[in-house]
Amino acid sequence: MLRTITPRNARVKRVLKNREAKTEENIKTAIFIRGSQTSQIVNDALADLYMLKKPYAVNFTKKNQIHPFEDHSNLQFFSQKNDASLFVIGTHSKKRPNTLTFARMFDHQLLDMLEVSIEKGTPMSGFKTPKSAIGMKPCFMFNGDMWDQNPNYIMFKSMILDFYHGQTVDKVALAGLEYVISVTSGPLTSEGKPGKIYLRTYTIVLKRSGVKLPRIELVEMGPSMDMTFGRMTEAKVDVWKQSLRVPKELKPKKKKNITKDVMGDTVGRIHMGRQDFDKIQTRKMKGLKKRTAPTEDDKDSSEKKQRVDDNDDDEE
Amino acid sequence: MDVSGVLEAHKQKFKSVSVEGKVIPLEFDLGLLTAYDQNPIDEAELRKNKDEYLQSLSRDNAQLLFNEIFQLPTISDDNGVMAMLPVPTTLLPREKPLPKPKPETRWEKFAKAKGIVNRKKERMVFDDNTGEYKPRWGYKGINDDGSKDWVIEVPSGTNPMEDQYEARRDAKKERIDKNDKRRQRNLEEGAVASKMDQKTVNKGERPNMDNARSMKRKEIENQILISKNSTASAGKFDDAIKGDLKPKGIKRKFEPNVTADLSKEKAGNMSILDRVVGKNGEDLVNVRKAIKATKSRK
Repeated sequence: MLRTITPRNARVKRVLKNREAKTEENIKTAIFIRGSQTSQIVNDALADLYMLKKPYAVNFTKKNQIHPFEDHSNLQFFSQKNDASLFVIGTHSKKRPNTLTFARMFDHQLLDMLEVSIEKGTPMSGFKTPKSAIGMKPCFMFNGDMWDQNPNYIMFKSMILDFYHGQTVDKVALAGLEYVISVTSGPLTSEGKPGKIYLRTYTIVLKRSGVKLPRIELVEMGPSMDMTFGRMTEAKVDVWKQSLRVPKELKPKKKKNITKDVMGDTVGRIHMGRQDFDKIQTRKMKGLKKRTAPTEDDKDSSEKKQRVDDNDDDEE
Repeated sequence: MDVSGVLEAHKQKFKSVSVEGKVIPLEFDLGLLTAYDQNPIDEAELRKNKDEYLQSLSRDNAQLLFNEIFQLPTISDDNGVMAMLPVPTTLLPREKPLPKPKPETRWEKFAKAKGIVNRKKERMVFDDNTGEYKPRWGYKGINDDGSKDWVIEVPSGTNPMEDQYEARRDAKKERIDKNDKRRQRNLEEGAVASKMDQKTVNKGERPNMDNARSMKRKEIENQILISKNSTASAGKFDDAIKGDLKPKGIKRKFEPNVTADLSKEKAGNMSILDRVVGKNGEDLVNVRKAIKATKSRK
């Protein structure tokens, strides 16, 4: 367990305050850990994934005795110490070669974990092409029909989005869209087990197309990995539910009486009060003016009015 | 004049932005700049020339995604043209739970009852003595303890030898201490109230502070009772203090020795027997362990 820190100066106080639970959260920090044994493929993959995640990433360059599926107490410690909630752990063994374990934390406790083995990987340096700048917002693509059917694929999709989506923003600079993370799901194996995943990263080139929309060309930037699924730990139902809660402040405000129908058209419903036709304001016309019956007292004034009207008639 | 030929020629110069061959239209989550292509992939093509196929597939989907993004409403900014993104539809887990609401302080409760509303005051106020604007409080503020005055008139009826500077310093220190004590009290009461009123706190609302004072008292009493029982002799040999707390609500119950209905007594005894021997004697011996033990002894 970590000792609890009591802030003794303003700087520490600010840092601690930034770590508290908030309605609008910080960008999740990821830690990249090398296990007790790694291979070149794993090292390259970790380095590249780290480069993509920068600057919200911490790279552990030393080896760590860590086996997340047996004991994840280290992860809790690292998570608290670095205020990080995402992990990639690279290991390599005879039984599970070239393995990456993606892990997520909620409230510094393990939420879920997914293991993939790299079958074939080419690092970023393997492509002699331009790279995207650090800290750019990627576009994502999930190709294939598996992404909302198989629990492995569902979790992998969620992990990739969670790792790299960055800050949730309401606007994005069109010139700042520099690269794409494209993940393709391979077909299931003959035994019905989840098949391969193909992760590719491309930089985007916008070309003129003669119309307003640009023509897109992609140039492979790396890393590129072909992976198979390994072990998986799914989140506990109640914890998962708790982690998906949206604060009241961020929930979109319900607009009353405005709905969208099946065709996507906006339909409004108007509630009218009871209309009183006596009081309703129509076009102002003299003839429609309500007049009280002339009494003895104000006879003079009514006569005056009459006279004016007469004059008008004469002129015509 | 027929310009369709010219337009056609102009079009021919560029590659198209439309993508054909998508049976199922793509789904987009533009808040996350994400496209989901549910069309099944071409396995034969994937096997034959994987990288080219993946690249062309990604390009087509990227084109469709960008067609969507470029049709979003835009605004111009210092950073160039910005597309306004909708709220993401894909749910991603949070990093930390929702922030707990802060419990009401005594002042807030009082102010609410009296209808006192906090109104904003300017940070800088005019200081008549120096003719300058100064902060209302804090560093170089006007609310210093008055110990900077170069001369202080001795108030009537006080000891003329008393150091008035020190008196002012002490008075300020006292005020600070008093405020700190109240802050501490608010914290304690708030902690107890949010512990007792978990239901409201979990809903994300402020806990009910109506009984915070009595609840805090109860909590302290409980802690005292626990600490009294926490000696080696469970409090048996401790001297009783006059007016000390006594544990409430713990009473032993004795059943009568002779009763007409014996079934209750029988059931009670049977349940004890079951717990000791196990139902039908099933769990009495762990057969697997027993076999292992006898084998290893041989």
